[in-house]
Amino acid sequence: MDITFEHVTHVYNPRTPFERLALDDVNLFIPSGSYTSIIGHTGSGKSTLVQHINGLLKPSKGRVTAGKITIDANEKKPNLKALREKVGFVFQYPEHQLFEETIIKDVCFGPMNFGVPAAEATTRAEESLRLVGLPSSYWHRSPFDLSGGQMRRVAIAGVLAVHPEVIILDEPTAGLDPQGKREILHLFDKLHKNFNLTLIMVTHNMGDAALYSDQVIVMAGGRPVMADKPEKVFAREEELRKIGLDVPETMMFLDKLTAKFGAGQISPVFTIQETADTVIRLLNGGLENV
Amino acid sequence: MVRIIEVGGLSYRYNEDQPWVLRDLSFSVNKGEWLAIIGHNGSGKSTLAKCLNGLILPQKGTVHIGGFDTKNEKTIWDVRRMVGMVFQNPDNQFVGATVRDDVAFGMENNGIPREEMIRRLPEALRFVKMEQFAGSEPHRLSGGQKQRVAIAGIIALQPLIVILDEATSMLDPEGRRDMIRTMRYLNRERRLTVLSITHDLSEAVYADRMIVMNQGEIVREGTPRDIFQSPEFLEKIGLDLPFAVKLGHVLYEKGVPLTDAALSQEELVNELWTLRSNM
Ligand SMILES: Nc1ncnc2c1ncn2[C@@H]1O[C@H](COP(=O)(O)OP(=O)(O)OP(=O)(O)O)[C@@H](O)[C@H]1O
Ligand SMILES: Nc1ncnc2c1ncn2[C@@H]1O[C@H](COP(=O)(O)OP(=O)(O)OP(=O)(O)O)[C@@H](O)[C@H]1O
Ligand SMILES: [Mg+2]
Ligand SMILES: [Mg+2]
Repeated sequence: MDITFEHVTHVYNPRTPFERLALDDVNLFIPSGSYTSIIGHTGSGKSTLVQHINGLLKPSKGRVTAGKITIDANEKKPNLKALREKVGFVFQYPEHQLFEETIIKDVCFGPMNFGVPAAEATTRAEESLRLVGLPSSYWHRSPFDLSGGQMRRVAIAGVLAVHPEVIILDEPTAGLDPQGKREILHLFDKLHKNFNLTLIMVTHNMGDAALYSDQVIVMAGGRPVMADKPEKVFAREEELRKIGLDVPETMMFLDKLTAKFGAGQISPVFTIQETADTVIRLLNGGLENV
Repeated sequence: MVRIIEVGGLSYRYNEDQPWVLRDLSFSVNKGEWLAIIGHNGSGKSTLAKCLNGLILPQKGTVHIGGFDTKNEKTIWDVRRMVGMVFQNPDNQFVGATVRDDVAFGMENNGIPREEMIRRLPEALRFVKMEQFAGSEPHRLSGGQKQRVAIAGIIALQPLIVILDEATSMLDPEGRRDMIRTMRYLNRERRLTVLSITHDLSEAVYADRMIVMNQGEIVREGTPRDIFQSPEFLEKIGLDLPFAVKLGHVLYEKGVPLTDAALSQEELVNELWTLRSNM
């Protein structure tokens, strides 16, 4: 489902001393089946932005359209249940979305809430928990008696079990161990490629944004200031630095190396293999070959 | 050298019918040291952290902080004053109605005199660049802003020991750099003892020493150089190598004759520079 923002403004606590403008006249288009990463400094409005897509927040001005459903500042909220069945959301802090007595019940809740029969919901829950790598010895425990990274895995499983068309991930890998991080990112990539799932990922990891997405949106001060392919966005290093961001580690390293070697700037590379090849070219012959 | 933390034979489980989550841990930390703790999800890092400030007590073994046994009720507040902890989820840490109150409340609780509080409060908020949010409710901040406030709360207390439990996981790249720089400054200049629990291995390479946890046990202990010497082992227990080490390995496989195991990007750049100069 296509997602469109038209002149969306969001003000928290309007007409109070705590009033804060978090989104400022945002216009955006996220095509169906795309993998979009959203990066931006702390407080730039990323979480506020994505919470509009599944109706957790309503625009103060403007409108958001997700597929056939429109949420307009001037109209009553439409039926959100239909929207939430299609748009799954993994919160920045996973404890905010866990609430059942046991992990397995927690993961079953989503599908059952959308009318999936209990037996089928259980099957899906088990399948999802396996996908996120939580051993079955935990399944009948309380979701609150878990480590931080384990809670994040359960929250992700809860969204997968609903089989949504769109998944919004707000910092999905924060708190995951290196292997967990790799596996979860690989899993989303596979779901995106095999099932044409639309993915929207908020992340502070520039490398992940670069490697996986078709489109990177850069937020600053409540506005999208860039929206383009990763290689285009990360070529604008200076601008990114100015707003508290950076380039992926691969590029950061090559920057340091070219500075030391007195070579000019190189075009963006995102994988370790490509980085190594570039280093070797630099070692062997210098700049012309890069 | 003063041993500020001493842990001997520490075991812990949350429930009698559940497995031990910490098994017979023994280690010590010197005053002014920077110790990184890494380990897979559920390996027991946060549980260990909670044992170190006396939030939970050993079921076997002992924990001594600055010479005080955490099991001694009479000195538990001395222990808590010595150890400042930034929790994995900052929401669990907020008590004040505003950012300002929240930071002040912690100081008040620690018996810091009023004039001193008034001096430290703006300084702490400035450190984390949150002055503008002094009047906001901590719960109504962005994820990274919450983490900054939690860090300010600890900086204001000026404890002897700081435990950072994934305290930079929600910060933007610049914020993360700022925070590590601040902590390293306090570590060097004020001999603050830092225990940093992190999944960010590029951050761990700056530690004086590292502890690797696996299923409730300490399975390795040593300098970052020692630890990152065994990539297969780390991978087996769900961990990985820092970027520079990984890149070094790939280069080596492709025939670049690297000798020294560079840990950081700077070290690898220097090694490649030397290599080219000799070519
Ligand atoms: N519930 C709220 N009430 C009032 N202000 C809020 C609320 N939530 C967020 N804000 C403010 O709105 C702005 C945007 O916040 P948002 O959470 O969207 O940022 P973010 O880009 O997700 O940041 P981070 O990377 O730190 O998670 C911030 O200045 C924040 O303080
Ligand atoms: N309150 C609790 N009650 C029962 N068990 C718990 C509780 N908190 C954690 N556990 C369990 O104890 C073990 C260690 O958890 P801990 O939070 O110490 O791990 P961790 O190393 O900090 O992991 P992470 O990297 O995910 O934060 C895990 O198996 C976890 O499920
Ligand atoms: Mg956010
Ligand atoms: Mg933890």
